[in-house]
Amino acid sequence: MGILEDIYNAVIDGKVEEAATGVEQGLSSGIAVDDLLKKGLLSAMDLVGERFGEGEIFIPQVIWSAKAMQAGMDLLRPHFTESQQQKSARIVIGTAQGDIHDIGKNLVGMMLEGAGFEVVDLGVDIKPERFIEKAVEEKADIIAVSALLTTTMMSMAEVVSLKNEKALSSLKVIIGGAPLSSGFCKEIGADAYGVDAMDAVAKVKELMGL
Amino acid sequence: METGESNLCQPKFRILDDAQIGRVHQAVLKILDEVGVRVNHPQARELLAGHGARVMDDHLVQIPSFLVEDAIASAPSNLVIYNRNKTKVMELGGRRSYFGTGTDLPRTVDLETREIRDTRADDIITGTIISDALPNIDFIGSYGLPGDVPPGLHYIRCFQMEAENSIKPIFFTAESEDDLAVIWEMACVIAGGPQALSDHPFLISYNEPTSPLAHSKEALGKLMFCAKNQIPVNYAPALLAGSTGPVTLAGAFVVAVAEALSGLVIHQLTRKGAPISSGVAATTMDMLEATVSYTSPEFRLTHSACADLFHHYGLPVWGTAGCSDSQYPDLQTGAEYGFTLLNAALDGANLIHDCGYLGQGFVASPELIIFADETIGMVKRYLRGFEIDSEHLALDVIKQVGPGGNFLQEKHTLDFFRKEHWQPGIFNRKNLPNWIKAGKKKADDKLLQKAREILETHQPEPLAAGIKNELDRIWEKARAEFQKKLT
Repeated sequence: MGILEDIYNAVIDGKVEEAATGVEQGLSSGIAVDDLLKKGLLSAMDLVGERFGEGEIFIPQVIWSAKAMQAGMDLLRPHFTESQQQKSARIVIGTAQGDIHDIGKNLVGMMLEGAGFEVVDLGVDIKPERFIEKAVEEKADIIAVSALLTTTMMSMAEVVSLKNEKALSSLKVIIGGAPLSSGFCKEIGADAYGVDAMDAVAKVKELMGL
Repeated sequence: METGESNLCQPKFRILDDAQIGRVHQAVLKILDEVGVRVNHPQARELLAGHGARVMDDHLVQIPSFLVEDAIASAPSNLVIYNRNKTKVMELGGRRSYFGTGTDLPRTVDLETREIRDTRADDIITGTIISDALPNIDFIGSYGLPGDVPPGLHYIRCFQMEAENSIKPIFFTAESEDDLAVIWEMACVIAGGPQALSDHPFLISYNEPTSPLAHSKEALGKLMFCAKNQIPVNYAPALLAGSTGPVTLAGAFVVAVAEALSGLVIHQLTRKGAPISSGVAATTMDMLEATVSYTSPEFRLTHSACADLFHHYGLPVWGTAGCSDSQYPDLQTGAEYGFTLLNAALDGANLIHDCGYLGQGFVASPELIIFADETIGMVKRYLRGFEIDSEHLALDVIKQVGPGGNFLQEKHTLDFFRKEHWQPGIFNRKNLPNWIKAGKKKADDKLLQKAREILETHQPEPLAAGIKNELDRIWEKARAEFQKKLT
């Protein structure tokens, strides 16, 4: 239990190196990958998320916990079984075309990584076609589009209609950003709307049936 | 490279320059020397006469300037106040600001019914427990004036209830020397004797002259009792510009200061070096309603002038803030709390009282103590300013992150966010969807919720059983004596 506990605490305290060292030690001493993943990394992140929800800890602390978790995850990923791979969604994320405001998108990306998802960050000012191309190329499960400017919101609708044109029915689109609403999400036919970064994680989990 | 200059950038505020302080001071000295003050206490008059003041007809006493200068020089410039457990918690002096409730509010907005009703004894306990739980409330007043305790006894009862429900310093009122003596007896029991109490005082007596330019027998009796027994006392007038003082702010201010300083003279002649905090509350009488404004912008101006003058004197200075003229918690309350608290703290007043007040000093609403606490937190953060050393200028991090980057994930952010950023406890920062999801709570709702939470869960440190019994005994004795007087 010692090594698992060390990993768990390292993630909670946001200690990146300690988390990586813990996972390395766990692997070399033969602890099951599933235990390292669930009892070590993911359960720690669950507690971090809970504490954040209660207002006990703050965003920078969550980010550093996520970094610690990510460091452990990178070492574990090569050892994943097929089913472990599948449980972790791959998300292509970027800001809407015309929008270079990316702090919200970055925050969502970090939170998603913290929750154990794979995130492919396309950056800012992304054309709808590019989202679709990249999602197909990466075999992504989800496209996440962020916007701050009301003028760029409509390019989100284009992402959805392009996806529908190409009949990519298993590919989901999640949107987020200050001017959006669940009403707008319905209107353009997106699959989910994240009110904030934590909600985005919850919505991705819902979409993935996790 | 550090330059050796100050790294700290802080809001700085004063309204009187040195020359203006000189002019104000000369005017005050002239009032005391040429007009004089009424001194309605024989011993106080004797004391003044024996030291060179001129006692005239009608108990009028003209005080020569040297007595005033002597008193300013002999009064301590720093007043150390402890809590009930003899831990140092306030150093009244310099620009160090401490905040607390006031005393004597006869009506209370009931926490449950939200109706305005007469204040009761249990409201004193409620106010005390809430104040005890809050980080930015440094000292505790009775807050309410209990209508269900007979006059003559209610201040004794208030003190007892406060001492039983908080370890924080108690800022208290007394009717006369008689109940003050009983309160002092209780305080001595708690501290372990008169010497222990004067070594580690955990109480401050509130006392005031009567504007314009008069000192009542009761006020002077209490003032001299405090001096003799080394009980810290705050002696400051509440003057109304346009009725109990000149309508002009300068005139109102110099009259009020003359009252405060003549009190200081009597106090210091009674016992040199005895602990006192001074200053004035010179506000306006509303010329439509004939009421006292606790928050008028004119009051804030004399408050600022007072702080400047008493900082110059090197005397601990009194303050008033976190109060409202509104009769019920509302938007006006919010604006007036914010305005007065920011102003009092910028002034660098030391003993800032009346936090949680409503209704021009007549109405209590216990959840507003929490509102004051929240606002004080915000104001304190503002006054703390910011640093500009290399670590805080953060050029290394700026270079590393570069244009278009993201500072959120930097170690620098993790290391500094708690020190640099104030985090509200009550005030909303949720976005609209999350605010709706969390029940659309307004600050008012959250204050009431927090008040109930504190009352359910907060456990003040109890008094030792022996001391509690002794206080009960003193209370019963005072009550019996009071009954005897009535029959």
